[in-house]
Amino acid sequence: MVDIAKELRRYLQDNGRNILLGLLSVSVFLIGWHLYSYYLSSTDSAIKWYVPAPGVVAEAFMDWFDAPDPGTDVWVSVHVIASLKKIFLGFVLALSVAVPAGILMGSSRMSNALGRPLVEIFRPIPPLAWIPIFLVVFVGWGGIAIVFLGIFFPILLNVQLGVRSVDPVLVDAARTLGANRRQIFLKVVLPFSVPYLMTGIKVGLGIGWMCIVAAEMLGSSTGVGSLIRISADLSLFPTMYAAMVLIGILSVLTTGVASLIERRLSKWMGMR
Amino acid sequence: MDKKILLAIVVAAIVVGAVVAVAVLYQPESRTGTVYYDTSITVPNMKAALATGQIDGFISWEPFVSEAVMDDTGEVLMWSSEMMPNHPCCVVVASTNFIGTEDGPDLTKRFLKAHMEATEWMLSAEEDHSSTNYTLLVTLAQEFTLKNSSVVSSAMSHLKYKYEMDSSFTSALEEFTQMYIDLNITTNETIEGMGYASVTDFVDSYVNESLLAEAADVQPSDTILGTVRLGYLVGDIHELAQFVANDPRALDGEKSMFEKYGLDVVIADGAPFSSGGAEMDSFVAGNVDIGYLGAPPAIVKHLNGGAKTTIVAQANIEGSGLVVAKDSGISSIDDLVNKTISVPNTSSIQFLLLKIALEERGYDFAVKTS
Repeated sequence: MVDIAKELRRYLQDNGRNILLGLLSVSVFLIGWHLYSYYLSSTDSAIKWYVPAPGVVAEAFMDWFDAPDPGTDVWVSVHVIASLKKIFLGFVLALSVAVPAGILMGSSRMSNALGRPLVEIFRPIPPLAWIPIFLVVFVGWGGIAIVFLGIFFPILLNVQLGVRSVDPVLVDAARTLGANRRQIFLKVVLPFSVPYLMTGIKVGLGIGWMCIVAAEMLGSSTGVGSLIRISADLSLFPTMYAAMVLIGILSVLTTGVASLIERRLSKWMGMR
Repeated sequence: MDKKILLAIVVAAIVVGAVVAVAVLYQPESRTGTVYYDTSITVPNMKAALATGQIDGFISWEPFVSEAVMDDTGEVLMWSSEMMPNHPCCVVVASTNFIGTEDGPDLTKRFLKAHMEATEWMLSAEEDHSSTNYTLLVTLAQEFTLKNSSVVSSAMSHLKYKYEMDSSFTSALEEFTQMYIDLNITTNETIEGMGYASVTDFVDSYVNESLLAEAADVQPSDTILGTVRLGYLVGDIHELAQFVANDPRALDGEKSMFEKYGLDVVIADGAPFSSGGAEMDSFVAGNVDIGYLGAPPAIVKHLNGGAKTTIVAQANIEGSGLVVAKDSGISSIDDLVNKTISVPNTSSIQFLLLKIALEERGYDFAVKTS
C-alpha cells in the first residue's frame, strides 16, 4: 500500500509537467468542440443534432450506468465484453502467427523474399473490403479475423525489424564465445527483438480497435462498434459519440496493459 | 469442537436452503421465449449468411426475398402482408428546404405528377402479363435491380405500387412512432422538442398531403423548368417508380415522364444509398432534394436527427418477407424461439413488422448477444 502511494507520488513528480500538458490539450479540444456545437445550435444549423456538446455526450455515457443502451436494449457491459472478446482472440491469434513469421522473415533472406510480396499486397486492404468474404468463409469468426488482420501486420513488421537490426557485433561476440545457433537465437536475437515486439503489440492493439466497427458488421450486433453503427442508424448521436469515447478508453486500457507488461519485461531482462 | 462442527453444518444448511429458496421463488418474468435479431449483415449479403448457417432466417425487402427462394436457398415463412396487411413501406420524402425555395413547391408537384403517372403506368402494365408494357416493366425492373426476369416478376407480385396516402397510412405511421417511444429509441420529450404536441400531431404535420393533391392538376411542360437531385436505395424494387419515370421508354421513347413535366432529375451525390438512414443523413447534408426510402427511417431520422424533411407520397405497400433456410425444419413463427433473424437495420420497417408479429404471439424480440 505504502509502496503504491510512494510510487504514485514519485510518478506525479516525474511526470507532473507532462500530465498538465496532456490535460491542457484535452481541455482545449473539449472547449473547441463545445464552441463548435454551441455555434451550430445557436445558428440553428441543419447539422446541429450531429454534433452534440461534450456535456450531452457525457450524459449519454452516464446513462449507460442507469439503463440499458437505447438502441440495442442491452446493458453496455454486454457490448464491452463482446468487443474485448474479439480483440483478445484476434490478438492471441495474431501474436501466435505474426511472431514466428516475423522471426523467420527477419532472419532468412529467402523467407523474406517469399513473404514480403504477400504482406505488401494484403496490408493496405481496408477491413471493410473483406466483409462479404469473411462473412461466409469464417462463419461466426469473421469479426475476429478482421481484428486479426489489424493486429497482425504491425506485430509482424516490428518483429522482423527487431530481428534484422540485431547488432552483428553481439552475434559475433557470442559466436566467439562458443555459442551455437540455438543459443545465439535464444540469448541474443530474441531478447534484442522483445522491445520491437512490444511496440508492434501496442501499435497493433490500436489498429485492432480501429477495425472494431468493421469487425462488428459480420453477424454481430453487440460490441462497441455495433453501438456506433446502430446509434448512428437511429440518429442517437450522443450515444454514438459516447461509444467512440468508450473505444478510446478501452484502447487506452488495453495498450496500458501492454505497456505494463513491457515495463515488467524490460526490468526483468535488465534493460532498465 | 463438536459444537463448532454442528454450527458449521447449521450455517451450511441455512446457506444451501436460502440458495434453493431463492432459486425456486425467483421466477424470471414468465415469457414464452425470445427470438434474436442481428442488424449487422447488409441485405445483399443475407442470402449467403443464411446459406452458411450463420443466421437462421432473414427479413428483407424484395427482390432479395424472391431471389433467395428462386435459387433454392430459402423459403418464405411469412410475408410482411401477413404481419400487417397493407402496411406502408417506401415513401417519397422531400427536403423542406427544397420546398421552401421559390420554385420548390412547383418542382415538387411536378415530381409528384411524374411519380403518380409512373405508378399508374406500372399498375396498368401489371394487369396484363402478356402485354408489351409488362415486358417493358420487367426489363426496367431488371435493369434497376440487376436480377433476372423471374426474380423481378415474382418480387413485383408480392408488393403493390401505390402513391395515395390514406388514413391507414397515417395510423400505421403513428403506430411505428409509438413503437419507437416504447423502445426508448425516441421519447415524447424529443417529439415535443421538435415542436409537435403529440404523436398524432407529429404524423399529421410530417405527412404533407396537399402537394400530392395539387399535383393532380400539373400540366406537361415543353421546357425544363428545374433540376431535382434524387435519392433512392440501391436496387430496391419498391422504388421502381423513379426508375420508370426517368426512362423515356415508358413514354414515347423521346422524353421521360420527369422531362414531360419539365424536370431534369439527376442522381444525388452518394445515391443510390445502402439504407434509408444513410439517405436521410444525405438529406441533412443538403445533397438530396427528393428521395425514396422507407417510412420508419424517415420518421426516426427526422425526430432524432432533425432532418428537415416531409413525406409527400407513398411509393408502395407491402413487399417484404421473412425467409428461412430450405429444409431448416422451421415451419412456423413458434419455431423461431432462440433463433437468430437478420434484419436490415434497427430503423427499418422490417424490424418493426417482425417485432409486431412476434409480440402478437407473446414472443420477445431482442438483440443477439453472442
